[in-house]
Amino acid sequence: MIVHRLFSLLGLCGLLSVAPVHAQARTLRAVASFTVLADVVAHVGGTHVTVTSLVPPDGDPHEFEPSPDDARQLRQADIVFMSGEGLESWFGRLAHAASYHGQPVIVSSAIQAYTPPGAQQAETDPHVWNSVPNVVIWTNTIRDALIAADPEDADSFRASASAYVTQLQALDQDIRSRISAIPADRRRVLTSHDAFGYYGRAYGVTFMAPQGLSTETEASAGNVATLIRQIHQTGITTYFMENATDPRLVQQVARATGAQPGGELYAEALSPPGGPAPDYITMMRHNTDLMVAAMRPR
Amino acid sequence: MSLLSDLWDPFASFGFMRRALVASITLGMGAGPVGVMLQLRRMSLIGDAMSHAILPGAAVGFLLAGGLSLTAMGLGGIVAGLGVALLAGLVSRRTHLAEDASFASFYLTSLALGVLIVSARGSNIDLLHVLFGTILAIDGPALYLMGGITTLSLCLLSIIWRPLVMECVDPGFMRMTGSRGGVYHMVFLFLVVINLVAGFEALGTLMSVGMMMVPAATARLWTRRLLPMMALSAGVGMAAGLTGLLVSYHFSLAAGPSIILTCSILYVVSLLASPTGLRAGRGASSWQGS
Amino acid sequence: MTDGTIRLDDAGVVMNGTPVWQHVTGCFTPGSMTAIAGANGAGKSTLLRAILGEVPLSCGTITRDGLHQRDFGYLPQARIIDRGFPISVTDMVLGGAWHQTGAFGAADRQIRQRAANALRRVNLDQQAGRMIDALSAGQFQRLMFARLLMSDARVIMLDEPFTALDAPTTQDLLELVGEWHRQGRTIIAVLHDIHQIRTCFPHVVLLSSGQAIWGETARILTPGTLQRAYDSTPGDWGNAPP
Repeated sequence: MIVHRLFSLLGLCGLLSVAPVHAQARTLRAVASFTVLADVVAHVGGTHVTVTSLVPPDGDPHEFEPSPDDARQLRQADIVFMSGEGLESWFGRLAHAASYHGQPVIVSSAIQAYTPPGAQQAETDPHVWNSVPNVVIWTNTIRDALIAADPEDADSFRASASAYVTQLQALDQDIRSRISAIPADRRRVLTSHDAFGYYGRAYGVTFMAPQGLSTETEASAGNVATLIRQIHQTGITTYFMENATDPRLVQQVARATGAQPGGELYAEALSPPGGPAPDYITMMRHNTDLMVAAMRPR
Repeated sequence: MSLLSDLWDPFASFGFMRRALVASITLGMGAGPVGVMLQLRRMSLIGDAMSHAILPGAAVGFLLAGGLSLTAMGLGGIVAGLGVALLAGLVSRRTHLAEDASFASFYLTSLALGVLIVSARGSNIDLLHVLFGTILAIDGPALYLMGGITTLSLCLLSIIWRPLVMECVDPGFMRMTGSRGGVYHMVFLFLVVINLVAGFEALGTLMSVGMMMVPAATARLWTRRLLPMMALSAGVGMAAGLTGLLVSYHFSLAAGPSIILTCSILYVVSLLASPTGLRAGRGASSWQGS
Repeated sequence: MTDGTIRLDDAGVVMNGTPVWQHVTGCFTPGSMTAIAGANGAGKSTLLRAILGEVPLSCGTITRDGLHQRDFGYLPQARIIDRGFPISVTDMVLGGAWHQTGAFGAADRQIRQRAANALRRVNLDQQAGRMIDALSAGQFQRLMFARLLMSDARVIMLDEPFTALDAPTTQDLLELVGEWHRQGRTIIAVLHDIHQIRTCFPHVVLLSSGQAIWGETARILTPGTLQRAYDSTPGDWGNAPP
């Protein structure tokens, strides 16, 4: 009799302990490699996902040096998102150091990556997110991955993803119409970072990068001179500085050509909250605003 | 005719080339004479150590200014360089450690500290720029600073000329005449530091000392008299600046290293060509003639 | 005491934990000519440097009435000087007048004339334009004397000034020292040659067994004291202070 009672009591306790878990539906711990991706994941995941980004705001996703704290976050993550296409070359080392054996979700795998002509060793351009349609593909990939990890919240994920895609499509339209308002021969932008290839191809803008002013190599006088000549010939009037390159070199080039600074573009990182690019959609609008202002005839 | 235009055009057509040239000339004039004194006092490696010692000062300036600010980094560099010199001198006087050993410990600490500070707030790129410099990015304010430093350096050098030379040749004598040889030692180190700070904007902390030491070593191979040695050292530095910039322009090679390597080539050529270079060794051991 | 007297009172110096000499008491009166003698390692140079104030005392005092640092002329042992430095003989001599020319004095005509005279006095006028590394040891030492001439010091301290010089040069320089003495300057010289001391120096400080015997040369330098000084100095080759 007493044994029966005890068992029932235990069973009740068991049920009661399980029930709250069911009623809650898990909150996934997601880790994204960098801020732009983290933002998209947050929009798709909503309240069911807490997202952290490994590369901080204003950080460089190419040249990231992970800390032990990042290793810990990676180990504790339920799901990991990466862009791929060679962007996060540091990830392998981090995963090894953190003893992370999971499989990260490569959100760019479904995207047709572009190989710029003349690139060394056929490197693909990894900056896929600067074209909005690619981020739509990201959204769908993320949605499917989240559903696989947390099937109970599938409906919620689908709804969030769908809403976000609508916003993205509106953004895409907006950018297209604004660029097409610029005369075709003025759609040129000079910027020191080469992250806008996809933007250029999607929206019809030519990006010129100062040659020899990349972050990897030290500048040679010959390259700087070539660039100045090139700018003179193409008549660019506005340039955009990037944190990564020595701003004084960019200024030097610009001064020689009479160009003006156009503000700061956010190519591969969001700004901190409160800055001009705290989330992806705002970032794209901000970049477009600045570029359109630069391209508009004076 | 086309050779002349190859030499002339880059500077005529591009402002950044002109500024880089003026920068090299200024650096050569300031660093050359100081380098000769460093060499003669057998302090060549201390010069190298100092160039690394200024890094944390520049790094702190970088931190406080929030970017690659010339004045902040320059001031910080001067403070750090003099600090290390003072510390090393103090330690060597109070303990039995030789001055160069103390320098070695302090400058390595300095270097590590500097890298730490820049990496903490900046990216690796900023660190690269501090370490390697960009002579092609010299702008007006930077030129004024470098010109000011060179002028100050040459003036100070001419003012303390006699006691400085005496202190090098015969430090005991200077102590004796009550003239506090130690003061001149510190002023000399100050000259070294400010010239290194002038150089690091253009050539970075790793290579700015090259502009100081290699032309001096070259000059030493051609003359035995002090003033001509200093003039020649300055000349070699300036010539290397001009040539290095032209090489960087026509062959698309990095500018800073081109300049320093040109200095080195001039040195090697001098070693081979000068009668007091490698050829002297052979002559001395010859048994023929007198 | 009178102005210009250097007085030691129970002075002692310890180097690297070992006492060099202790309880040294005596005085150098103005215009006196005193030699410092003793075996190698007895601390003769140390005594000179202590008088100059370069070496701190472990006990006792040294007073230098009315004397400033610039009143001292010092000829160190040759090895401390960088002979390879590219300056000329003339520049080296001019260095002796540096506290008269001041920091950035271009030496004026009068000083240059004095420098030329000094070089002539030591027979180096032919070498005036040469680099100092072209001089022989003897010539270089004469140059050092010429520099001392420039400094016009009241107290002249010489540390083994005649080492490696030939007899005629030594004789000539000894005469110069004699001239200084006649001009009323105080001379203190570390010397090895007992004959020189006996001939030219009326007073002597003999360092022996860590003590100093101070007084008139004739009285001090007896065979007995000399034997004790030169046979019984503690310390072997290894830890002799310079």
